[in-house]
Amino acid sequence: MKHLRKPKKRELSLLLTAILLGLLISLQARSFQNLGDVINRDNRADVFREIQILKETNDNLGDEIKELETQLEKASNNQDALQSVMDEIKKYEFIGGMMDVSGPGVSVIISEKVKALWLTDIVNELFSAGAEAVSINSIRLTNSTTGFDTIPSGQIMLNSVILNVPYKIEAIGDRKVLNQALSQPEGILERMQKLLDGVQVQVEEKDLIIMSKVR
Amino acid sequence: MRNEETNNQRVRDLRVSVVFVVTGIFIGALLTVQIKSSIPTATFLSDQLKVQKELVDSYLDEQGLLKTKIVSLRDKIEVAQEKAKQYVQTANLDTLNSLKEEVGLKSVRGIGVSIVLSDGLFVDRKNPDVINQSLVHAADLRDIINALRSGNASAIAINDQRIIASTPITSVGNTILVNNYNLLPPFTISAIGDTSLMMQRIADPAALPDLQKRVKDLNIQFKAEINGGLLIPAYTGNLGLKFISEYKGS
Repeated sequence: MKHLRKPKKRELSLLLTAILLGLLISLQARSFQNLGDVINRDNRADVFREIQILKETNDNLGDEIKELETQLEKASNNQDALQSVMDEIKKYEFIGGMMDVSGPGVSVIISEKVKALWLTDIVNELFSAGAEAVSINSIRLTNSTTGFDTIPSGQIMLNSVILNVPYKIEAIGDRKVLNQALSQPEGILERMQKLLDGVQVQVEEKDLIIMSKVR
Repeated sequence: MRNEETNNQRVRDLRVSVVFVVTGIFIGALLTVQIKSSIPTATFLSDQLKVQKELVDSYLDEQGLLKTKIVSLRDKIEVAQEKAKQYVQTANLDTLNSLKEEVGLKSVRGIGVSIVLSDGLFVDRKNPDVINQSLVHAADLRDIINALRSGNASAIAINDQRIIASTPITSVGNTILVNNYNLLPPFTISAIGDTSLMMQRIADPAALPDLQKRVKDLNIQFKAEINGGLLIPAYTGNLGLKFISEYKGS
């Protein structure tokens, strides 16, 4: 029968060091895995946020229904029908970027070059927070705007125009809500700044933002 | 003879040391996983989850009904305006119709690209603790939409949710919300437009680098093909404007 040898002091200290090493390697592996992957681009909000979003959406849909009912009443009355058509035309011209528009909102200035995905994500966050119009370096984003294209030099192109730094993103909407959506802890800007060490971002609430129509 | 014994002893010591180091690293890794694991702290957790799910489902049902009503009201307005043609003038109605097409309020039929994207095998999206790169994330859908737009897509939908400029594509935990509506995989992205340009954009390694790597390494399912008979439905959501107004100069 073979007896187990009593571990020496040296071996015990080796074991402890190895445990510590194991801890460090695992932590490091986890943090590397977290860095830069797709998961970090979205907020890990919980189910309560989902319920909040759904409730707000349904409230907004309810408002839209009220507005459409008024519009239907107008359209059904021959005297007001023309007005109903003109109101609708104006509304869609706002949305389609066919008019110069203004309103309160926020201005975001990113002073350094970032990847196109960050611009996509910031724009998405602004629309998610209820922005009614968004522009980047004075280019309105509408249904007819192309996507962000990264050209071989690494620059970003939008509607065949190269976007130079600083990127200036402007949004019309409830400025407090828009600012909060961008600047909240663990929000898009904090995540971007964490991953792109040192990128400078400035957010400012504005009483008046003016956006030119799409040319 | 004595030297040989000493050497043998050294080899044994070395072997034991290696075993200790490997065991130590293994224990360290296990400890880390254990410490990092989240332990449910709530009581009656299953009841809470059930109530939350019921609440989410009831809001989604309500959203479906509200959207159906919006579609019906928009149709009724169109019919009423058509009836009042002599008062509103045909030219105005033509302008209105072309603007509706522009903002996504008309369904569109045509040739385009159809992309099917789904989670990797063996991952459970329903488990809220699963944070996994084998899942399709909202960011993946945003990147694909951006690539299709840069390929001049004229109309896009994800699982029949029409994508317009202001469509948010977000996630809450592992739930993906498009137009604030809960979508589940497989995600079918349909885009009408120049098929060769769109196919070229989504195959461009610079456009979807992260997704392409995960399709290759983590079995995310991705299939893109040209489809001659796509139907992209009209946008059914809210288009309310509260803050914007016409700028007439200072």
